[in-house]
Amino acid sequence: MASVELSQITKTFGAHDVIRGIDLTVDDGSFCALLGPSGCGKSTLLRMIAGLETVSGGTVRIGGADVTQAEPKSRGVAMVFQSYALYPHLTVADNIAFSLSLAGTSKAVRAEKVAKVASMLRLGELLDRRPAQLSGGQRQRVAIGRALVRDPKVFLFDEPLSNLDALLRVQMRLELAKLHSDLGSTMVYVTHDQVEAMTLADKIVVLDKGAISQVGTPWELYNRPANRFVAGFIGSPAMNFLRGTARMAAGGIAVTLQGGVTLTLPARATQDFVGDRPVELGIRPEHVSVASGTGAQLSGRSAVVEYLGNTSYVYVDTPQGSVIAEAAGARGLQSGSPVGLSLNLSEAHLFDESGRVLAAASV
Amino acid sequence: MTGATTDGQSTSLGYMRRTPGGVLLTLLTLIAAATWFFPIYWAVMTSLRSDSDTVTDFGLIPANPTLEGYIFDIVHSELPIWYLNSTITSVGVTVAVVFMSACTGFAISQLRFPGRMLLWWTILASFMVPVTALIVNHFIIMANVKLLNTHLGIILPMLISPVTVIVYKQFFDGLPKEFREAAVMDGATELQVFLRVFLPMNWGVTTALAIITFIGSWNAFLWPFLVSQDEKMMTVTVGITAVQDAFGVAFGRVLAGAVLASLPVALAYLLFQRRVTQAIALSAGIKG
Ligand SMILES: Nc1ncnc2c1ncn2[C@@H]1O[C@H](COP(=O)(O)OP(=O)(O)OP(=O)(O)O)[C@@H](O)[C@H]1O
Ligand SMILES: [Mg+2]
Repeated sequence: MASVELSQITKTFGAHDVIRGIDLTVDDGSFCALLGPSGCGKSTLLRMIAGLETVSGGTVRIGGADVTQAEPKSRGVAMVFQSYALYPHLTVADNIAFSLSLAGTSKAVRAEKVAKVASMLRLGELLDRRPAQLSGGQRQRVAIGRALVRDPKVFLFDEPLSNLDALLRVQMRLELAKLHSDLGSTMVYVTHDQVEAMTLADKIVVLDKGAISQVGTPWELYNRPANRFVAGFIGSPAMNFLRGTARMAAGGIAVTLQGGVTLTLPARATQDFVGDRPVELGIRPEHVSVASGTGAQLSGRSAVVEYLGNTSYVYVDTPQGSVIAEAAGARGLQSGSPVGLSLNLSEAHLFDESGRVLAAASV
Repeated sequence: MTGATTDGQSTSLGYMRRTPGGVLLTLLTLIAAATWFFPIYWAVMTSLRSDSDTVTDFGLIPANPTLEGYIFDIVHSELPIWYLNSTITSVGVTVAVVFMSACTGFAISQLRFPGRMLLWWTILASFMVPVTALIVNHFIIMANVKLLNTHLGIILPMLISPVTVIVYKQFFDGLPKEFREAAVMDGATELQVFLRVFLPMNWGVTTALAIITFIGSWNAFLWPFLVSQDEKMMTVTVGITAVQDAFGVAFGRVLAGAVLASLPVALAYLLFQRRVTQAIALSAGIKG
């Protein structure tokens, strides 16, 4: 077991900066998710921790030791690949035992360790099969078993569940969570699926174009996004963004949206500023509700109504922009009808021109 | 599956059996097969006739079948030695070509070293040069290093086989890089990646290349003919011509020799064909 510390990590492919100076500490025993859109450099970062990719600049430390130049096998890490990469010519047992047999472990010890891993992952009956004779979920478990048997200090996962169907993904997610609590090892987990990151990780790192956008707990990322990118990336349906100008007012910050509507956000910690300032007001769909009469702060026409069973989402076109509202009770809503919207402004966020948060929701 | 629409193969066969077009096609195929097969059949039958019968008996089945030709070849000619020579050189060439090509293909495909592309282009370029164009040079070189009339002399120039290198390189290129990375994470050295992952993963390719190389070198004529002038160093293919030259027109013996010469190749193919299909099926199943 060990922590992973990255300092000032950079990676360039030719003239292309893929990772731009990342500082990150993954504590011993924590489950850290690297989250971000496709091409943001998640896999590259993980592969640099694994030693499969050289580091252009900076240092990688595992368990306090500088492993920047170390071979993958001497880093004490194991990796589970998205494509599983099981050796097709070997049985499940031999796949799991491959690293042991390379290390010259005796047959008896090998069999014992394989049996232990197999019972942990419920692979007992499959040990004599070949990868081609396994289902996707079983292959996934073998791939995890292959990592497990090496007893690594750090587990690295690169989108391990993305080849599974939705139901199996949920099931494997639970198994991974259980595995983590059983083993207590450090795990670094790459995903572009925010639900996986939110449910599994105790620490999420959101990457944007090769740089860290925000690091925090799932709660922090969802409720206290540090910038517009994280605010827009986390949450589904995505946060609503409305352009406007902000100025300090008596009761808080007054935001005048396009079309002349002025909303006053309650007082909250923010750096004082003078005069008008272009901002974007961000508010999640669950903090926007359908209202009528004087309760409505915005009004528009509903474009689409999505019924999800436990709730509904209404896509409303307003003069201020398009707004998604959660409308749990609004059964009679039809597309095209006029809708009034009420915003829970204590949950709203303000982002300045550069996308940084200007004023976060109140605690 | 008995439904007419669910089992495409049986319906299409049934369809062909019923229509005149299908019957015609079957007939044509049979004729083509017979045309292809007849010379082989005739050679085998002639090899079972005595020398005088070969020019008088033209029945489909020999009237007085005899093993005279075979016995003569085996007892009175150097055929057993030629067999041994063919075996030594063909096995030698096959093992060396397959192993060296696999190594070279792996190196060019997976390792990064200076001159890698130069090596690759050299191999590609050598593919463009027909071996016959080099045969005089080969002969002179072998003569200079005193390897004429030796097994090594037959084997060495036959090791030039850019095609197998190209096949291996392309094959290794096509493997997902995760296999290699998984092995590296598991602690494998380059050599272990090659010997324990990449090579065993594609026995199908290796078997197929080995069979092709074996058949090619067993059947090789021009180079062994040039380099082995001593009757004791001849391969089967070269030796049979010697029988003909040495004993005049004796169709029975010549064809008995030909049948014996082609036997190992036919056997090898028949034996290994099953393993080839097996291996290919296996590697295809993995990708699914
Ligand atoms: N070997 C390479 N050579 C050149 N560019 C590369 C190489 N590997 C990755 N890149 C580039 O680096 C960037 C980040 O790639 P990376 O695979 O880390 O993305 P990712 O975040 O894992 O995306 P995804 O979610 O699609 O897997 C991409 O723009 C990619 O094109
Ligand atoms: Mg990736």
